[in-house]
Amino acid sequence: MSLNKQELFDKLAASIVDMDEDLTIELSNQVITEGIDAYEAIVNGLTVGMNQAGKLFDEEEYFVPELLMCSDAMYSGLNILKPHIKINSHETKRKAVIGVIEGDTHDIGKNLVKIMLETGGYDIVDLGRDVSPATFVERAKEEKAEFIFISTLMTTTMEGMNEVVEILVEEKIRADYKVLIGGGPVSQSYADKIGADGYAENAAEAVKLANNIVAAYGNEL
Amino acid sequence: MSLIQRNEELTSLERVVLTLQRKEVDRIPAIPLVCGASYRVSGSHYDKWSQDAEIATQSLLAAQELIGQDAFLLLVDLSVEAADFGQELIFPKFSTAYPDFNNQYIKTAGEYDKIKKINPRETKRMKQVVDTVRGLSEAKGNEVAIFGFVYGPLGVLSQIRGHKELFVDLIKHPEEVLGAVDVITEVLIEYAVAQIAAGAHSIVIDPLYSSGTVLRNTTWEKFEGPYLKRLADAIRAAGSAVAIHNCGGGVYFEEVIKWSDPVAISVAYPAHGAKDWEEHAKTWGDKIITIGYSDPAETGLVFTADEVLEDVKRQLDLFNKHKAGFILSSGCEFPPNGNLLNAAAMVEASRRYGRWSI
Repeated sequence: MSLNKQELFDKLAASIVDMDEDLTIELSNQVITEGIDAYEAIVNGLTVGMNQAGKLFDEEEYFVPELLMCSDAMYSGLNILKPHIKINSHETKRKAVIGVIEGDTHDIGKNLVKIMLETGGYDIVDLGRDVSPATFVERAKEEKAEFIFISTLMTTTMEGMNEVVEILVEEKIRADYKVLIGGGPVSQSYADKIGADGYAENAAEAVKLANNIVAAYGNEL
Repeated sequence: MSLIQRNEELTSLERVVLTLQRKEVDRIPAIPLVCGASYRVSGSHYDKWSQDAEIATQSLLAAQELIGQDAFLLLVDLSVEAADFGQELIFPKFSTAYPDFNNQYIKTAGEYDKIKKINPRETKRMKQVVDTVRGLSEAKGNEVAIFGFVYGPLGVLSQIRGHKELFVDLIKHPEEVLGAVDVITEVLIEYAVAQIAAGAHSIVIDPLYSSGTVLRNTTWEKFEGPYLKRLADAIRAAGSAVAIHNCGGGVYFEEVIKWSDPVAISVAYPAHGAKDWEEHAKTWGDKIITIGYSDPAETGLVFTADEVLEDVKRQLDLFNKHKAGFILSSGCEFPPNGNLLNAAAMVEASRRYGRWSI
């Protein structure tokens, strides 16, 4: 790797951490015009920057507003770089649907999980917020997803997660999907109770959990 | 006259008031936050419960009769105030109302001046809450504590603008945000005063973003601190006590106390900086009454009644060990479709294990 390329990736990462969306766009365009591999720029630039932002969040240097601005910058770069990714330049990605359960509009946590999963190499279909249990299942089938990630921040809506699992059982397709849940009121014991495959406390843990499942089940997924 | 509850030494109201004054009580008050869940006791639906003061009043009274909690909390949903400012809502049949996020009332940062002063005594949803307070006060105001509820101004604004959009605006458009927060605060003051006039013994304010998992402490102070103070001062001036509820992680106790000087803080997690409940009780136990900290989801949806008793005993023992001010509660709203008998088990646990003074 040339020094110039590494320097460009470093600047790209720094633009994410600095929440400088305009600079991220400029540098992403520079990656394309200079013929640098777009996937490398995503992995070694955007992802590195977002991971640094996540670390600053963990250390209480950054908070939700800063993290949101970092993710806005990252997505601006991603939108430029993604169409230029060469086919077969990376491994086949694991596919997942993600959303906030019906009745809940708090999607910041879900978006952070989505970003971390995407930067962790997963192909994510974002169903948005206020998603009915039936829609989770329908879209998971349509997208041929392996994972269903469900989030909620409210005790008043968390029971919808249970309904997703129930529908999968009723349709006799429970074994086809790994259902992972997260959000403020949710816990491992609640995941156990509803028969989900796992619970993650935060975005980083969600990626670890998914990776562990992939490692454990591999092609059986 | 209750058909279910036993006679106890103190009424619920006396128990709560004396606890907040750090005086001797017969047992620690127990207040599982059974709000919307009460709709099931009266056989109603959530959407009707949250839009009809008479149904809400009768439901809350019936639920209190069944469960025996020591206070009513008027947390209908976090969109009550936002709706009256113009935000369109969706009312599910079995769960809480929420904003139509596809149609936020404030769609751009240039629209914050759409927030205008309104009279909560005349608007639809806030007036319903005031009417519910009045109904509860007339029925049981001499026996059971009534906690009115006001969502903090920044929280109200987030329901109107959208959470993500508001957080970004805090950085990009702070003056516009502060202008709207100022107007909302004026309305919330009137709303709180109206609840007090209707019979609320205390007003619970929810400054949800005073939490280490959301905003930097200085950011929260800038955008809500002085407004919280105005609201708290007005509540005290109207003759009522100020309490705080925040179910976020790592609530900034120091800053919240600085700006609102409450009698109690209701939380789901230990205060910011406390690594666990033991440290929380040691640090804050002699400074403020903590209201908490049963996990509402575990209590309502996972635990057996025996597990609730064990869980509550642990909490009571821990706070007793440190002689820390405590009111037993769920850290957040009891799940609307949770097992109400487990809420009753919390109260029973207080009767069995909560006989100590702070």
